[in-house]
Amino acid sequence: MSSNLLLPEETSSQTLRRRLMAVAGTVILVATYLTLIITQPMGIVEGLGQGVALGTFAAYLISAVLLLLAVLPDLPVSTLTLIPVALALNIILGQFVGSVMIPLYIDSIGTVIVGFLAGRRAGAATGVLSTLVWSLFAPTVLPFAAGAALVGFLAGTAARYGALRRVYLAPIAGLVAGVLVGVVSSPVATFVYGGTSGVGTGALVAAFSSMGDSLLSAVTKQALISDPGDKAVVFLVAALLVYALPKRLSGSFAFVRRYRVLGKRVSK
Amino acid sequence: MPRSNKLHPFTILAIAVAVVTMTTAASQWWLSCAVIGLCFLITGWAGHTKKLALLSGAMLLPTFLSLLLIHGLIPRVPSPAVAQWGPLRVTVHGLEVALSLGLRTAVLVVVGLLCGLLIDKHQLVAAIDLSPVPPQVGYLLAATLFLLPQMTEKQRQIGEAQTLRNAGIGTGLTGWFQRVRLRAVPLVLTSMQDAQDRAVHLSARGFPATGVRTRLREVPDTSVQRGIRWAAVICAVLGPVMILAPTWFGIN
Repeated sequence: MSSNLLLPEETSSQTLRRRLMAVAGTVILVATYLTLIITQPMGIVEGLGQGVALGTFAAYLISAVLLLLAVLPDLPVSTLTLIPVALALNIILGQFVGSVMIPLYIDSIGTVIVGFLAGRRAGAATGVLSTLVWSLFAPTVLPFAAGAALVGFLAGTAARYGALRRVYLAPIAGLVAGVLVGVVSSPVATFVYGGTSGVGTGALVAAFSSMGDSLLSAVTKQALISDPGDKAVVFLVAALLVYALPKRLSGSFAFVRRYRVLGKRVSK
Repeated sequence: MPRSNKLHPFTILAIAVAVVTMTTAASQWWLSCAVIGLCFLITGWAGHTKKLALLSGAMLLPTFLSLLLIHGLIPRVPSPAVAQWGPLRVTVHGLEVALSLGLRTAVLVVVGLLCGLLIDKHQLVAAIDLSPVPPQVGYLLAATLFLLPQMTEKQRQIGEAQTLRNAGIGTGLTGWFQRVRLRAVPLVLTSMQDAQDRAVHLSARGFPATGVRTRLREVPDTSVQRGIRWAAVICAVLGPVMILAPTWFGIN
């Protein structure tokens, strides 16, 4: 029987189409990343540079949108209503911290909360949507959609395997997630923008460049300094906010109950 | 009604994508400057010049400074210095690279912000609802765009209430963290409770609905605009290829 009595059951062709979109999105993302890392195209401004910039931009954005379209019809209504709140939190907190000259972003608290409460697919969808909506106010974030999806996906994965059952596990999971996100996002910063858009992060890249690193290497090292710290803080703050939720509210999410995300913290 | 409302939101977006991709592919400083100038002319026509200047300035100033730090101060190619302060020197090549990359980003920022200013949010939501994308996308966009000002206002009210009860008035980093905590926690908790209440109402009404629905708001569209959209999409895909192909095959 359909899980929702008011809606028709999904057909097998729709399921297949969504799976194909998810596979295509993942393949495009991985292939683009590997191509950039292996070939390390030179000449950021000249000839090849523009093609690489446009190709990276398009590939990361298309993969993120494909993953979003594959995941979205699966999400229950309780998650769908949570996502706009998460997007608004990302934007409000991100714009506030983005204006301060520290090499942290703190722009994914909402995405991580959704990942913790509703699982990795919901987290990934929130990451992509957050980037798409935010791009109406700050267009430069658009190619980072895939990185934002990864943040939500990893938050859901961490919650599923018990990162919220002890408060100290959340920042550790954030550190690991930050390393992965930093590695995936740094080709975008390098090949689309030729560096970073913040003065604090730019100073770090300049410092590594002055030590003889290539631009990709310098941006990756900067990301490996900024992202793990940033995600550790974000995961910790998001975990504390989830702990502060009434048990009736956090326990209403099937993901939280099914995987005992909060351990003994939530009543049945 | 704003003059730009006569345009379908997807027409504006398609033209913007075509302009950004082709300008990026061409990578000519005069073309980038011309596009930025044109954007300001259009925004003047729409009456948003000051807003566009402030928003783009706030975004581009740190970007240019960052690029200047990365490329201008750390030259990758030997080049004569333009200016020197002790061990720091800005070279001609570094400055050229920083300006070129900065202009590339500037086109994206200014064109993107112009889209955000020209497109009516209600029209965009209606256009997405009428398009073949999943109905959840329209809901999420609408909910986010209308929730943002509400949550900003709620945050301000929470801040005022905390000030009235003399909480979170400390100075320095500790005071800043305390203020953020006192504002963020009530904001998140009330917003999530509201979202949970909304979910019950939406579920009761069979959201997301499938099939054809009638919308009260119509999005103005013409065959000319549809043609422009197709042309813009083709330009966005084929334009950069045609511009860059001679470079790839070593013709230039």
